[in-house]
Amino acid sequence: MKRYYLVVFLGLFLFGTLGAQVGINTTEPKASLDVQGDARFDDHLFLEEPGAYNIIRGSKLLINTTADEMLQYDIEQSKYGPINYVQFAFKNTNTIGLEDYNTKISTADYLVTVQGYYFTGPNGNTNIMPHSRDSDGDIEGFQMYAYPNAETGTWFLRGKFNNASFRAPTGSGYGDVKVDIYMNLIIYRNKFISKPQTKITVDMGGNETQTAPLPAGF
Amino acid sequence: MIPVKYFSFFIVLSSSISFAQVGIGTTNPQADLHVAGSTLVQKDFELSSLPFVTSSDEGFKLLTRIKNSSPKGKISILDVDQLQVAPVNTVNYEFKNLSLDNLRDVDLQYDADKYVVGIANFRYVGDAIKKTTINGKQSVGAFVMRTFIAGGTWHLEIRNRFLDLAAGKSIKYYVTLIVYDNSYYRNLPAIVTDLNGSNTGTASAVPNLYN
Repeated sequence: MKRYYLVVFLGLFLFGTLGAQVGINTTEPKASLDVQGDARFDDHLFLEEPGAYNIIRGSKLLINTTADEMLQYDIEQSKYGPINYVQFAFKNTNTIGLEDYNTKISTADYLVTVQGYYFTGPNGNTNIMPHSRDSDGDIEGFQMYAYPNAETGTWFLRGKFNNASFRAPTGSGYGDVKVDIYMNLIIYRNKFISKPQTKITVDMGGNETQTAPLPAGF
Repeated sequence: MIPVKYFSFFIVLSSSISFAQVGIGTTNPQADLHVAGSTLVQKDFELSSLPFVTSSDEGFKLLTRIKNSSPKGKISILDVDQLQVAPVNTVNYEFKNLSLDNLRDVDLQYDADKYVVGIANFRYVGDAIKKTTINGKQSVGAFVMRTFIAGGTWHLEIRNRFLDLAAGKSIKYYVTLIVYDNSYYRNLPAIVTDLNGSNTGTASAVPNLYN
């Protein structure tokens, strides 16, 4: 039986050199090798000159499943996307902002980042501002971020100005109000196209300029 | 079994031929074409009806083509666990011992030809900057947080440009930098629009996103 196959493929080589075509399940091959059916490659597959595609739209990425099947990646059909955008709207948040919010998004599966935010007062009123609780003369910094909670294994969100409350016009003056905070989250799927790198601490040494160490591999 | 001589003759005479299941390096093919070894395709490789991912698939990996393999064009699985640099990388940074509030220019050293660097998860931890009275009006200054390219690498600026933290006070900044590899993410030219004093406008050029 072994010899039989060897001869067939010696034959195929001959075809290659003669410029003829081979069909599997077809008598009218449209390429040097035309497989009308499925194909399985146990070892490496080399594509020497597949050509380049210079158009963003109308193409699909290729993926390899855990069962080693090659598939087209269609983000609409897939269970998850590589990069996901979602807005979280926190309505009627306490006047000091958002202290701890469990997104219930798994830290094992995803990497969550806050890449933008804004806030409004009651009824979408944009006449609202953060106000220091320490001193009228203080400009408090803000913290709008996602952080992993080791206990729950999920991402938490925090969105607030330090030592501050949100204030809006109330009758004659300004007073603390509940606030609507909108956070723009970009959520990356782990072990697909994104990777968390080791944390870097930069000691500025009291200077305004510094060179940060580069993570390995960059 | 077909006699060997006869079979070879048949192949040579035919310009094309059709087989049912074919095995290469195997006598027991598990697919219409089953290559139990390496495969080299020197020209086009077309997949006419490749199935789509299903809503239950998990743990799949992207496929990539390696340009400098031997032979050229090895198809490989993109496994970010085995790569030092993934298409998207997140790096948490902490900046301490600042000069007041002024992180004016930190060279992050990411090559601007290879990467795009964005900021996420910003945290200002520490003392407040005092408002300053200018001509009887209190100013909150101008707090800036941005990445920018200088000298071929990405840099970071975080500070109140106009006002300073009082001496003896301290701040730490924390950010997550998102480092995108240019092999996967395009860095498009800036869109510059002169609004001539107007507070509304229309893009002077559309980014090249539709090709």
